[in-house]
Amino acid sequence: MAEIEDNATSTFQEEDHRAAYIFNAPAAATDGAGTAAAPPPPKRRRVSSKKDNSTPKKQQQQQQQQLAGGEAESLFTPLFNGAESAESVRLRRESFEAAWPVLDARIQHVLREANRNTLDEVTSFLRNAEAESEKITAGIIITGPNIASQDLLFEQLAETLCKATQAKFVRLRSAEAPHLKAALKKIIREATARGGSVDDEDDDMGLSVGQDGRKYLDYDLESLHVSLKLQASRRVIVAFQDSEAFDIGLFTDLVALFHSWHDRIQFSVLFGIATSVELFQARLLKSTARYLHGAQFDVVQAGSVLESVFKSVVAGSQAMLRLGPSLLRTLVERQQDQVAGIQVFISSLKYAYMCHFYANPLSMFLAGDGGLDRQLLQPEHLEAVRTLASFKSHVEDAVEARQLNHAQSLLDDDQFLVGQILEQGQKRRDYLEQLLRSLHLIAAMGLVSTPFTELYITALAEGIDLSSGAFPLLDNIRRLGPDEILSLIQRLVHAVQTGSPELGLKGWESETDELTGPLTEIRDEVEALVERTKDNRNPLKSKYDARSKVLRTTVVAQKVQLSRDSAAMTDEDKSFTDAIDTLTDLLSQHIRCDPVDSLFLHEAWVYDSKSPYRDVFIPRPATTLGRALSRPHDYLGCACCSEANGTVVPTLPATAILYHLYLEAGALVNVADLWSAYYNSVGEESKLGLDERTALVHFYRGLAELRMMGFVKQSKKKADHVAKLKWL
Amino acid sequence: MVRTKAKNEELPAARLARKRELSVDPYEVPDEDTTASPKRRRGSDEPQPTASRLNPLKDPLVVEVDGHQEAGVIQASAEPVPIKKRRGRPPKPKVLDANGIAVTPSAVRRKKVAATPAKLQGLNGVDTPSRRTIADRSARRKSARALIDRVVEGALSDDEAEDGGIAREIYESSEGDIELEDQEPGDNREEGVDPNTPSKTPGRKRKAGSARKRSPSPPRDLPPHEQYFYQNKPGLNKTSSNNLSSLDLLTHDEFFALLRQLKDPHVADVEFLQSLHAESFPQWSFELSQGFSACLYGYGSKRRLLHQFTTYLSTSSAEQRPPKIVIVNGYVRTTTVREILGTIGTAVDPSHKLVAGNPVVMVQSLLSLLSSAGTTVVLIINSIDAPVLRRAGTQSILAQLAAHPQIRLVCSADTPDFPLLWDSGLRSSFNFVFHDCTTFSSFGTEIDVVDEVHELLGRKARRVGGKEGVAFVLRSLPENAKSLFRLLVTEVLVIMDEGGAGGAEGPGIEYRMLYSKAVEEFICSSEMAFRTLLKEFHDHQIITSHKDSIGTELLSLPFRKDELEAILEDLMS
Repeated sequence: MAEIEDNATSTFQEEDHRAAYIFNAPAAATDGAGTAAAPPPPKRRRVSSKKDNSTPKKQQQQQQQQLAGGEAESLFTPLFNGAESAESVRLRRESFEAAWPVLDARIQHVLREANRNTLDEVTSFLRNAEAESEKITAGIIITGPNIASQDLLFEQLAETLCKATQAKFVRLRSAEAPHLKAALKKIIREATARGGSVDDEDDDMGLSVGQDGRKYLDYDLESLHVSLKLQASRRVIVAFQDSEAFDIGLFTDLVALFHSWHDRIQFSVLFGIATSVELFQARLLKSTARYLHGAQFDVVQAGSVLESVFKSVVAGSQAMLRLGPSLLRTLVERQQDQVAGIQVFISSLKYAYMCHFYANPLSMFLAGDGGLDRQLLQPEHLEAVRTLASFKSHVEDAVEARQLNHAQSLLDDDQFLVGQILEQGQKRRDYLEQLLRSLHLIAAMGLVSTPFTELYITALAEGIDLSSGAFPLLDNIRRLGPDEILSLIQRLVHAVQTGSPELGLKGWESETDELTGPLTEIRDEVEALVERTKDNRNPLKSKYDARSKVLRTTVVAQKVQLSRDSAAMTDEDKSFTDAIDTLTDLLSQHIRCDPVDSLFLHEAWVYDSKSPYRDVFIPRPATTLGRALSRPHDYLGCACCSEANGTVVPTLPATAILYHLYLEAGALVNVADLWSAYYNSVGEESKLGLDERTALVHFYRGLAELRMMGFVKQSKKKADHVAKLKWL
Repeated sequence: MVRTKAKNEELPAARLARKRELSVDPYEVPDEDTTASPKRRRGSDEPQPTASRLNPLKDPLVVEVDGHQEAGVIQASAEPVPIKKRRGRPPKPKVLDANGIAVTPSAVRRKKVAATPAKLQGLNGVDTPSRRTIADRSARRKSARALIDRVVEGALSDDEAEDGGIAREIYESSEGDIELEDQEPGDNREEGVDPNTPSKTPGRKRKAGSARKRSPSPPRDLPPHEQYFYQNKPGLNKTSSNNLSSLDLLTHDEFFALLRQLKDPHVADVEFLQSLHAESFPQWSFELSQGFSACLYGYGSKRRLLHQFTTYLSTSSAEQRPPKIVIVNGYVRTTTVREILGTIGTAVDPSHKLVAGNPVVMVQSLLSLLSSAGTTVVLIINSIDAPVLRRAGTQSILAQLAAHPQIRLVCSADTPDFPLLWDSGLRSSFNFVFHDCTTFSSFGTEIDVVDEVHELLGRKARRVGGKEGVAFVLRSLPENAKSLFRLLVTEVLVIMDEGGAGGAEGPGIEYRMLYSKAVEEFICSSEMAFRTLLKEFHDHQIITSHKDSIGTELLSLPFRKDELEAILEDLMS
């Protein structure tokens, strides 16, 4: 192939045509030398706003090449146009490194816990099934549609089952086992290798040598049998991770084979199923199904896994960074609408943390105790704080409240502001504690059916105020009967005592008895009332009770009049009503919090930007490509193409012109006409005035690019025609 | 139309008044009404947008049609109309002349109609009953006749006025149709005469302007799927039968020679774009360090950008042991998974030899090697969506690699629908973050432009490298194969000398002719043997065969004349 490198491009030509090669760093860089030489700095120019969307940075904070003193900070770059001090950068990085791993560990813990039940059930089933002789035991695990989350489950299965049943565990995915031979090879390889017997290091012949010197084909179950005999184990568990994707004939063959070996090797199978057992069984042959002795296991649904991950990682007190309500809502909606796996959620979460600490200089305020001190705060930080929306509203509030001095010092006095900033850590913690306690109490009451995620998001966005309409709690409480009230109080007291381990919330009874004290008083009072009215015919009721409202019908002049009337209330009833009123007042006093964006300096610890998340996790390559080709000016920003504005101008890149023509063409494109149309727009008659051969070179390149991007393919229908493949 | 009708109903009083007026002076009846009728026609023309809009475009055509029709109508109506009344017509042109100068184009049309009296009379004379039945069959003519009758008779009852309205309706609607119909064949004819689409001739810029307006594509804002169904409607795929035979296709040499002289006007802008992306390098490497894989997409070659990034990574690494960097070029057609895995293996530990064989096994051993060695490997993949890497098996192996904590993956993707490569399982093990990296830099190395285009056009693209290649192939073939090739070269050279241009495939010799010559020279005795020899050539791509327009099979050689001469010299010596 006589190929000549485009002269514009870089130095190594040969390597560009090799499939794979090891990159050798340019001679300047030697390993371990601490990179004294800064990397060849690319040109620095201001980032235009359109590109900025794709990078998780605040617009005003241009990313800068790190300063030459490259220590471990190389990953985090100084913000404020490079003015940020190295200590601040380090502080941000350390905060990130302190924040995320804690959460990561918790997430893994939660995920593993979520599968615990299933694991136990499967294990006990398989263990008990040893007695079953004739049939192959088959565990059918309904994993749900998301195959991404299956991996963890099967990994755990492998761990526990190996431990519990002394069996070999082999995981099969449909991609790895296209046919019987491949499946058997894989099974034998895994089952023999796991045991630690490394005597049969694969030789090229596809043979494995047994202990007695006999050779076996690598898909011969005899070799498995021999190796198992050596280890005094008879069990092999084969797990089909994505059963629906397997060829059903493969199951038939495998199961028949397993059955025929059953007296020597005890096989068990596990099927991971995304849909339902009925559908799966309908696909299996009856004769195959007859060999199987199956049981069905369910995995915790994705929704509840999400809920618990959410509780412990997003809402939990350990989460250093708070995700803002709008971002959270997007994330949760994506989980529900697109059946994205929990892994996607976790990645998004992590990315949000990364963005915050990487690109927000104020994130260093989150540094742990003692990390932040006055010296670290640069004038730039203060300036940044003064531009915040929350600063503005804080000052305005102060002015309205006639605290002019306070406002004045906020604006003018740097030291005062620093003091305020340093105080914020405690305020943040107080706020979060209040928020979580309120949510915990609401959840503990068990009177609202809204899922916790929803509650949390609403609380962040709108705050909690029981007397307003957002939470219909108080009405629900008022309608309760005395017994229910008692149990409600019981639950509340319990909640206060124990806190919530999921949320990382400790019981707070010891701190204050403002809530529990009055609660127990109310409880005692209600109990006494119940005791007193026990002998009465009429049960205890409050005025809010439906029973205390009597519907009265009166016939006046042959017309029926309906009127509601409160039934006669006894003294006990009245005092019960009072007790309920006290309770509701008490609760609405204690269960309250402000919306998160009303807090001063919340920008330092709330991340609520959707665009990096969207750009990075939900790419829209078709739109991007279409835009680049139909409006190259958007990207190039050149003067010559700016007048194009969606039409053909000869200076456009050839591919863009061809793309325009391509859009106008039908499903079949005549290349001869395409060429003449192209030549017409760039040729001698046009402004550009290319001669034919040069235009042809451009045309070739454009066409080849269109083909590479998959827009056209060869068409056999007519000579010199290409078929259109993309409708963007 | 409805509107006109309504108008008719609305104003019976007015019409009555006019009728009465008319009857005062019976002599002027025909004149008055003929002048009135075009006016009224014009009035009813207006609400009919197609006709009125098309008129200015195709005025001569319309007039012609109209005149013809009118003539036919009159000729048809000539029989029933009493001669006395017909005599009343000659004054009409006069009146119209007077009016026509002053008034509107439609009046001009009228004038022209009336200006063909000779035709009218001549036709009238040779009229035959069969002709008339044909004419009668046409509803349009009938209605036209009704109109004329009414005009000629002059006296109108209200009922007749109603009828007349309908008749006019028929007449005019079909007139519009005719116009459209006439326009269509007109266009076709134009295309038929000039087999190229309008834009073929460089001088005419119809493509840009009028042609687009009438192009069959639906409005731009159709969603893509609608567009797909629209464009794939059966019968819509009408393309002209032009081909590129008149165009001399580029050869590799010419292409590169021209390419080297080219200057991209956008170099500075592309550079700038690139530098914008380069500013994100620290961010990307942060993402990589956090276990994400980066995927760059968008229009333009991202190879240079990735290369810059690689350089950045290798120089800026803060870790004690800089990561090994392996670059994979997905666009190279010979890339295999084994090669990729092998290279990574060598990068991790040059002394260790990976188990050859099944890639799935290789991955396992590679991953265990990685875990034990503890080095970090950065895997840079150019065009992860290139055809050779598209297979599901390959992608799942890459995903397995990417999921390993010590492997960091950066890749670029060129096609607009690359996310379809991965299901959610693969996607979560890749753990991608995507970045829009539209670079607009041209694909230099990635595409073999000339071959790619020729393949697209169905031309044979790949060939043995020139005369040495041919000599190499022939050396391994029997003597009579050599003789046959020599014969072929000679014949083709002769044809070239005779000046057969022969289009893109070069001059070719007829299959039959070559066969008979081969038999004459005792190169082969049967067609079977002849074909076997040819097949050998075909397999080595030193000949090409194609069919010409009448279907005779032509054999030709994909070489230039000087090359052929050199080959022939070699063969003769």
